Formats: sequence, structure tokens, C-alpha cells
Amino acid sequence: MERTFAKEVEMLRRGDGEYFEGEGILAITKALLQSGVSYVGGYQGAPVSHLMDVLTSDSKGLMAELGVHTEVCANEAAACAMLAASVNYPIRGAVTWKSTVGTNVASDALSNIASAGVMGGALIVLGEDYGEGSSIIQERSHAFAMKCSVWLVDPRVDHPRIVELVDKSFELSEISNTPVMMEFRIRACHVTGRFATKDNKKPRYSMNDPIPEPDYNLDRIALPPSTYMQEKMKVEKRFPAAIDFIRDNKMNEFFDGDCDDVGIICQGGLYNSVIRGLQQLGLADPFGKSRFPIYCMNVTYPMVPDEVTQFCADKRSVCIVEEGFPDYLEQALNATLRKADVNTTVVGKDVFPKAGEYQSEVMMNGLAKFVEGAVPKGVDLAPVAAATKAVADNKAMAAELLGAPIPKRPPGFCTGCPERPVFSALKLAQQDPEVGKMHISADIGCHTFSTLPPFNMGNTVTGYGLGLASSAGVKDSMKGHTISIMGDGGFWHNGLSTGISGAVFNKHDNLLIVMANGYSSATGQQQLPSSTAGGMRPPDTVVPIENALKGVGVKWIKKQYTYQVGHMRNLIKEALTTTEKGLKVIIAEAECQIAKQRREKPIAARLLKSGKRVIRTRFGVDEDTCTGDHSCIRLSGCPSLSVKPNPDPLRKDPVASVLNSCVGCGLCGEVSDAAVLCPSFFQAEIVQNPSLMDRVTHRFRTAVIGLFQGNDYAKETAANENAPAEEIKVAAE
Amino acid sequence: MSALPERPISMVIGALGGEGGGVMATWVVRAAEMCRYPTQSTSIPGVAQRTGATTYYVEIYPATHEAIGDKRLVMGLYPAPNNMDIVVTSELMEAGRMLENGMVTSDRTTLIASSHRVYSVVEKSAMGDGLFRGDKLYNAAQKLAKRAVLFDMASLAEKEGTVLNAIAFGVIAGSGELPIPEETFREAIREFGVAVESNLKGFEIGLAYMKGELELPPAAPEKKTRKAKPNAESLLADVAATYPAETQTIVSEGIKRLVDYQNPAYARLYLDRIDTVLAIDKERGGEHNNWALTLETGRYLALMMSYEDIIRVADLKSRRSRMNRVRAEVLAQPDEPIHVTEFLKPGFDEITSVMPTWLGRPIMNWANGNEWARNYNFAMRVRTNTINGFLRLWSLSRLRFYRPRTYRYKEEQTAIEAWLETVREAASRHYQLAVEIAELANLRKGYSDTHKRGLQNFTRIMDEVGVPCSTAAKDPAWGVDALSKLRAAALADPEGDALEKAFSELDAAPQAAAAE
Repeated sequence: MERTFAKEVEMLRRGDGEYFEGEGILAITKALLQSGVSYVGGYQGAPVSHLMDVLTSDSKGLMAELGVHTEVCANEAAACAMLAASVNYPIRGAVTWKSTVGTNVASDALSNIASAGVMGGALIVLGEDYGEGSSIIQERSHAFAMKCSVWLVDPRVDHPRIVELVDKSFELSEISNTPVMMEFRIRACHVTGRFATKDNKKPRYSMNDPIPEPDYNLDRIALPPSTYMQEKMKVEKRFPAAIDFIRDNKMNEFFDGDCDDVGIICQGGLYNSVIRGLQQLGLADPFGKSRFPIYCMNVTYPMVPDEVTQFCADKRSVCIVEEGFPDYLEQALNATLRKADVNTTVVGKDVFPKAGEYQSEVMMNGLAKFVEGAVPKGVDLAPVAAATKAVADNKAMAAELLGAPIPKRPPGFCTGCPERPVFSALKLAQQDPEVGKMHISADIGCHTFSTLPPFNMGNTVTGYGLGLASSAGVKDSMKGHTISIMGDGGFWHNGLSTGISGAVFNKHDNLLIVMANGYSSATGQQQLPSSTAGGMRPPDTVVPIENALKGVGVKWIKKQYTYQVGHMRNLIKEALTTTEKGLKVIIAEAECQIAKQRREKPIAARLLKSGKRVIRTRFGVDEDTCTGDHSCIRLSGCPSLSVKPNPDPLRKDPVASVLNSCVGCGLCGEVSDAAVLCPSFFQAEIVQNPSLMDRVTHRFRTAVIGLFQGNDYAKETAANENAPAEEIKVAAE
Repeated sequence: MSALPERPISMVIGALGGEGGGVMATWVVRAAEMCRYPTQSTSIPGVAQRTGATTYYVEIYPATHEAIGDKRLVMGLYPAPNNMDIVVTSELMEAGRMLENGMVTSDRTTLIASSHRVYSVVEKSAMGDGLFRGDKLYNAAQKLAKRAVLFDMASLAEKEGTVLNAIAFGVIAGSGELPIPEETFREAIREFGVAVESNLKGFEIGLAYMKGELELPPAAPEKKTRKAKPNAESLLADVAATYPAETQTIVSEGIKRLVDYQNPAYARLYLDRIDTVLAIDKERGGEHNNWALTLETGRYLALMMSYEDIIRVADLKSRRSRMNRVRAEVLAQPDEPIHVTEFLKPGFDEITSVMPTWLGRPIMNWANGNEWARNYNFAMRVRTNTINGFLRLWSLSRLRFYRPRTYRYKEEQTAIEAWLETVREAASRHYQLAVEIAELANLRKGYSDTHKRGLQNFTRIMDEVGVPCSTAAKDPAWGVDALSKLRAAALADPEGDALEKAFSELDAAPQAAAAE
């Protein structure tokens, strides 16, 4: 896995009178144990991967002691289905995934469990992957809470409060017989903080203290007539119960302010940003003391009607700060106030952007607009306007000085990534007239980066493991070939059933390339059924991808080591031109370079230290022969293959150059070979701790070679004074 | 309350995946916590490790927990424009990004950045020069920050065997922007417990720099000029005597290049050719144009005349200086042998290029018309550190004497004469047009397919715009603009889509007579 959690596990053990210090997502993990969960499941994905990683890797021992069952589920649907344990039995459980994508996958199970209702506390920890740094489509989880009538907690970002609310959420779930979703934005998951820990609670029922009897109860089965009854329950029992509990336990918070003719209502997760925004406008202090009263909704669904009416009643105008689209809260607020016949003006998406993350500048400007519009009693508007103007002016000045927008830095394949060569091969294959340009149904995973420069390959991305399925409609409508990509992560997540078995059943006749790098890499190198972990995993526990393929009836299966670009290109061509009918699958195999380096670097270092002979391989480019057309870069995009200013006084264009971060994966050689690029590339093997034999041969060779090499008037490195300016002004005629 | 600071110290760190931005953030947080200051940090690691840009945000409230008592701070999660006290970036363009986002203000921001560049894919993959102007970044940083600390921490780290983020951490400590004693910063590194020695070393370097106790090594010059062979002296003397100062670097470099490429006679040919251009340049008031015509023609004439055939490549790759450069580049220790493997893949172009014309031309004519032959080539893996491998290249390089009789030589010289003639022709009508045509030669670069593509583009642009404009069949003034557009387009993408577009967008040439 990407990192170890030895230190964090020690934190998870802390009890009364001690403190936890660390990231938000681990604070949540600790809170689960303090709330006495019996089972935890989930599917990895930023920003909640760590929750699963820590529970399923280094803390196995602790989990055993507490009797907590943890497992990495096959996908989010499987994770959500785990909550079924809490349907019939008074046991608490928590599951987690990246949302909304994960919630989409989970929603079948979610609806059914929401309908059946739960007896034990069921908590769903959502990593709300929204805004900057997100890797998915931009939607809100809020809609799922509404349509399933499950509750949505969006806690104010403050470790002690978060931990408290986790425990409250379990109670809420039990009292209202409803699963509770708790959403944490990316920054909230990574924020550091500290809270006073409590002893972990041993669950009443667990692996150590099993449930004596299975419970049969038709009321809990999602089948008519129960389903009608369950729907009624939602409205008549669960909803009111939830609202009472949220109010009575003060899950939402009121903060007062001296200018109380106006007020601010915000999602809990945005509270810190609201305060910071007000502070920039001179309307709050570092301790959250605001000039305006604030109603902080730590529970964003359901809304507590009498709380909002009470807050708004005596105010001329309130501003609702709600991130994302649609504006569910603003609509609910308006409806609630209307019903209660409270005529407070509600300002929201008219001063804030309708879509997108509310980062600091957005927040400040939105609040400023509200204040300038509402003109609260006793607030000097001058500094407010000044603050927003200063920011705009400074940015304008920066833009002018920079002269051009700063180029984006899109994520890309890592140095030595085994997936890059496959796309190099694809690029080359398409240059072959017999193959031509293809429609590529891409998938989710590191390989999605093929859709970015320099490859710009992939016509659609429709979801995790859906690469093959998404080609079904288009493949027969294309003049050229249609191929699909799928990672081994997506393959096991659902691609095998959703894509492959379907394609075989429907006699699809196109190509699927499975990127088998051995891990769910993009989420932090979690292992998969087919992971060999570089041979570290006992072979009898590994399920090879080709076996699964054969199992569902794929006939044409070829394995290819990804770094052999020429072979890969030929294999792709063969698959697309063969007369053999049916689905063709190429398993593009080579281990994730990050995982490989993490395993092998320390070993090499140890050998080196102990004086053993170690060969370090890397590539290089001859600056003399490179003409600076950069076709190699366009076929590789490796971070280690870069450029540098041309040392040749006669040439202007930068020359290609290999950085020392090169791991010598060999792609450069393969590409310049397969693409017939240029003779500038060379591979260098540096013999560290050379043997006597090495030294002798080396000396001899150098001596003999030296006899032939005259003085070649090597380039001096002395800078030349009257070197010409890079750009030469030419007077117009 | 009033005694307490009115805001936290805000610090944003911009790094690239795998550069240890997170580690540095942790060090800062720990150092602050050791001083009992309430501290919060958060980050957007996202797909950072996958080479994307990544940011870490830290807030330190400069009053101890004790001073604050039971009050609880509400700290921010986002860096806010006009609100940063310290901005640290591991690379110059990321500093530019911070400037662009308004994070750097002259009233309070100390900007700490390594001045080296890590080029983005977009910059790297341009077929010509796509790099963002470093001077712009540098200048903007100096203008917008209260204090800008910019120096190449990357190369320093590499030289000293430490890491960039440790040096930057030392700079932060030395900046005095944080109310934290030096020793506490060191303690944070020790407590973190990873690579403590080298990190401390880096820290001290950064600290020393801020105290002005560190002499930075002078930056290596961008351009390397060549020593002249003795037999080039007389030609160089001529240049020194007869050429304007502005043009001497290029022209004498050209002479050195061609003596080294072939022999003094060939260099003399170069000089004779460029003399004719200089003559025109003088008539056409070159001094008012910084002799651009002579400069650019001299530049590309030298490059065209020293075209890369396998003799040249073999020559360059079998030199002592080259082997030394490789050793330096791959950081091989003096006692470490290295094995060097070259990836050569000659096809018919390369083979015929060293055949005599009578043999080469028919073969090439046949090859061009033959699907198989056009794509035929064979991979050669040559290990230049072995005697056998070296000799294969060395003996190839010895074919130099015979180059003038080769097929490729004839082809190139014809092309050169044609191009030169057009340049001179154009110069007599429109100075800038001539310069544009001279610079068009930059399209004739690369190897195999890239080279073929370049030649096609070059020929097409010459035939459709360059030549007609030089003879005033089309308006020269119009040609200037057209040529610069087409040249840029030809270098925009390898598929040639941009060039097609550029051609289609050319507004019809006004049928004016000569510009005079």
C-alpha cells in the first residue's frame, strides 16, 4: 500500500485522558471505534482511502481485540449491502466510499436498506470529492439523502465536534431507524487537529460475542406489502423522530452576533470558510466571533423547520451559504419560511455562484455582495468594498506582469509507469493505415490520464469498470475500429460482469485492453484478487485475470508485457485485423512502478551499502544530435523526459533531456525503436561497486578506444560574451 | 482578547507530486506545535503523486494555548488571496501560479521559491520552443512580493546530496517570518525521523543562504561555444576582419562547426555563401536591423550544411568528449564503469545517404515508391563502451572524407542553393521577408519520419508562399505575416492539422508588385 499507518494505529488505541493528533479522516476512524462499531467496510477512493487502509492493514490486531470485522469490499454496492447486518440486529456498523460516484454504485443497496430501516446504528462515511483536487464528476450527495430519506450530516470542521457528531449520528440512526450519511470534503479529510480521546467501546455483539439467534421479520423485507408500510414509516415515524433528536441534541449550532437584523445560514462543512471570509471583510475575529448571527447546519438533511424559522423570524434578511448545485437547502428554506409565513428575505445563489466549490475568494466576494445588499445596521461598508477590490486589483496586476496564463499542470503517468507504453503503442498502431484512427472507450483509473496531453486518447469515460460496456452502442456505428480500456481495478470492481460477460453473451467483436498493473493504483495501490504484489502474495490466494476471462467464455486472450512497445503495437494490430470473431482481450501486464520502486529501492540501497555490485540503469539524450522536435516527448510524456535550453549557439529550440529521476524503465529506447525516432537516445548502465573484472575490462576498453579518439575540440563551457539576443528586432521597412 | 493577535500566520506551499511538500508542511506544523502555538494544516494531495500540482495550507496562531486559555480558534481550510504571509513553491512556474491566484501581495507576503523549472507537458511537447518565459515569472515575483527569495534549490540539493524541501525549510526558518527558534525547526526534523542527516544538512544550507553565508555556484552558461581547430584559424580571422560584431558569434560558430563537420574547404564554401548574403544585407541597411538577415541565414545555413547523416551521428557518438559528457550526465563516479547502448534504426534514407549518387538516387527513387521500403529499417543496438561497438561507429565516422560524393550530399547542396537564392531574391525586395524565409529552414530538422514531415512542410511553404513572394508574384509584405503564421503552425502539431488550417485561413495575397 501507498503508506503504512503504524503510528496512527497507536493513536487509535488511546483512551480516556489521552489525546489524538492527526488527519480528519483518521479522527473519524477513531470516533467509529469509540462508538462501538461491530463491523466496518468500504471501497477505497480519495479522500477516504485512509479509513479503510488503516483498519485493514496495520490495525488488524486491534480490530481482533475489539472483535470488529473489517473488510475491503469488492465495490461500493457490496459495502453498502454490509449495512444489512444492522437491519435485524442491534449492532452498529460503518461503511465508507468516495461520493458521489461511490454512492451511485451503492444506491441499489442504499434504497433497500433505507426502506427496510435499521435497528443498529448504520453510518455511511462519504468522501465528498467535490471541487479542487477532485478526480470525478461534480455532483452532490445531498440528492441521495432526499430520495432515500436517509439523513445527511455535514459537520463543522473541528476534530472534537466531528468526533461528537459521529457518536450522535449513530444514536440518530438508531432512534430514527434510518442509515445516516456523513459527508466530509477533501480538505476536511486531510485537516490536522487534536481531540481528547475516550476508550474504544467493545461492541455488544461482535466476532467475539456472536448474536445468539437469527431474527426473521417480514416487516424488514423490501417486498410488498412491507414496502408500502416502510414508506409510511419513513414519513410518520422516522422523519419526526429524526427531527426531534437533531433538535434536542443540538446537532445544529447557533452562534450569535451583534448585527442581528441579518443572519447567515451555512452547511457545517463551510462554517470555517464563512468565518474566514467574514474575517477578511473585518466582520469576524479568529475565534469565530462574528458580527452576524450564524446558524450552522451540521445536519443538512432533514432541515429542522422550527430551528430555521426561529433563526429567521426576527431578521430582515438571511444569507444561505450552500455549496454545489442544485440549491436544495435554499429551496427548502424558502418553502419552510413560506409555510411558517415568515417574510425574511432569503439570499443565496444570487450572490454566490450557482455551481463550483466555495473557495476563499468566492466566499469572501459572496459574503461581501450579501452585506452590501442587506446593509446591516452598524456595519461600515467601506472596508468591505476595499477588501474585495484589493484582491481583484492584485490579480489583475499579476496577470499583466505574467503576460500569459500559467500553463496547467494536469496529472499524468508517473515516471516509469507501465501503462504509458500501452498508449505509446496505441498511438503508433493508429499510424498504421490498416488500423487507422480508433474510437477509444476509456475507463477510470490511472490510465484515464491518457485522455490528457500528450496522448489525448480516449473518446468517452463513463464510469469505473464501464470501459467495455460503454463501447456496445458505438462499436457497430463506427467506420473505424472501436476499442476499450479497463484497469484491473475496474475489472474486479464490476467490469468482469458489467462489461466482459455481457460482451461475450452479445458476441461483441472488438478489442479490450486490460491494464494489469497489479493494484488499484490511483487510490493508493490497494491489492486486488489478481494482485501478486511482486510475488509477495502466496500464489494460491491469487486469482489470475485470464482465468476469470476464460471462466466467462473469452476465447482470444493474449498477455503482453507493456514495455515492449513494438510487440504491443503488433498485438493490437493482430487483434483488430484477425478474422477470428468474438471479444479479444489483451492483458497489458507490468507492475505499478511506484509499488515496484517502493519495494526494490531499499533493497538496492542495502546491497549498495554492503558493497555488493549493483547496476543502475537510466536513459539519456545526446544534446549534440537532438534537433529539438520533441517527438519523443509526444510519444512518452514521462516526467523524467524533459527539455532544457539548447546549449548549441546555432540552435534555438530546447533539446530533450532525461532527468535523474529516470528509473530506466526502457520505454525511451523502445519508443525510439518502434517509432524510428532518432539516434539521440542512449541507455547507460552504471556499475556501482564494480568487481575487479569490471574495472580491468573498463580500463582496457577505455585505453584502446582512447587510441582512436583524437582531440575532438570539446565544447568549452565558457559563456560567450557577444552571444546574440534570443529575439532579434527587425525594423519594419 | 485585545492582547491576542488578530489573525493567524497563513502559509501556503505549492509543490509537485513526490517533492515532499507534505513532509515540509508536517515539519512546520510540528515546529509550531512545539512552541505551543495552535496550528492547523490541510492539503489537496489529490492525484499529486501522479505529477500534478499540489498545495498544502498551514495556519499558525502566534499565541500559545496557555495565552488563549479555553477559547477555540476557527481556522481556515483554504489559502486566501491577499491573505498570505508566506508562500513557498518548489519550482518557479508554481510560484507564477501563486502570483496568478493573487496569493502574493507586497504588503505582507514573503515568497520563497526554487528558481529552477520543471516543464509542464504542454511546454515540453511543443515541436519548437514552447517554454513559458522564465524572466516574466522572475520579474513578476520580484514586483509583487514583499520579499522574494528565489534561487535554484534543486541543483543545490542535488550537488549537496540533500533534498529541496529541506533547503526550503531552512529558508523559512531563516526568513524570520515565523516566531519559532532555529533549534525548534531542527528538532522538528529530528522528531519526524526520516533521513534526518540529509534533511538537517539541507536545512542548514537554506539557513546559511538567508544569513548571506552561502556562496551560490555561478549558473552554467546556457550556450556552449566550440573551440576552434587550428586549421579554422585563418577563416575565423577573415570573419573577425570583415563581419559586423553582432554576426560574428554565429558565423564563426558556423565555421567551427563545418570545419569539424567536414574540413576547412567546406567551411570556406559556407563563408563564400554567407558573404553573398552579407553583401546584400549591407546594401539593405542591415545595421538598422541588427544584421538579422546575415545572422539568421548564417545560423540556418550552418545547420543545413551540417545535416545529420549517419557519418555525423557516428562521429558525434564516438568522441571522447561525448563519453565524458554521458558519464557526467548520469552521475557516474570516476571508479564506476558504465555500459552505453545506442538505439540506431537506419532505413533506406540513412543507407543511401552514404552511397554514391549514381547508386543512391535510383535506390531512393525506387524506395520512395515502395510501401515496404518506405517503412523498412533495422534496429541496431550498439554498445559504444565496448571496443567492437565503438569501432563500428568510429569507422563509420571515418567515411567523412567521402561524404561529398554521397547522394545525400548532392541533395542537400541543391536544396541549400535553392533556399539561399530565394533568401537573396527576397532580400532585394523586402528585408523582413528574407529573414522569415531564412528562419523557415528551422522546419528541416529531426530524423526519419519527423525529418520527412519537416521537409514536406518546408517545401510546401516555400513553393506556395516563400518563392512567389520573393519574386513579387505575391505581395512580399503579405508574405512576411503569412510565413511566420505558417512556420508556427508547422511546429504546432506533428499531424499537420494546424498547418492545413493555417493554409486554409491565409487571406488571398494581394497581387501587388514589389514592395518598393
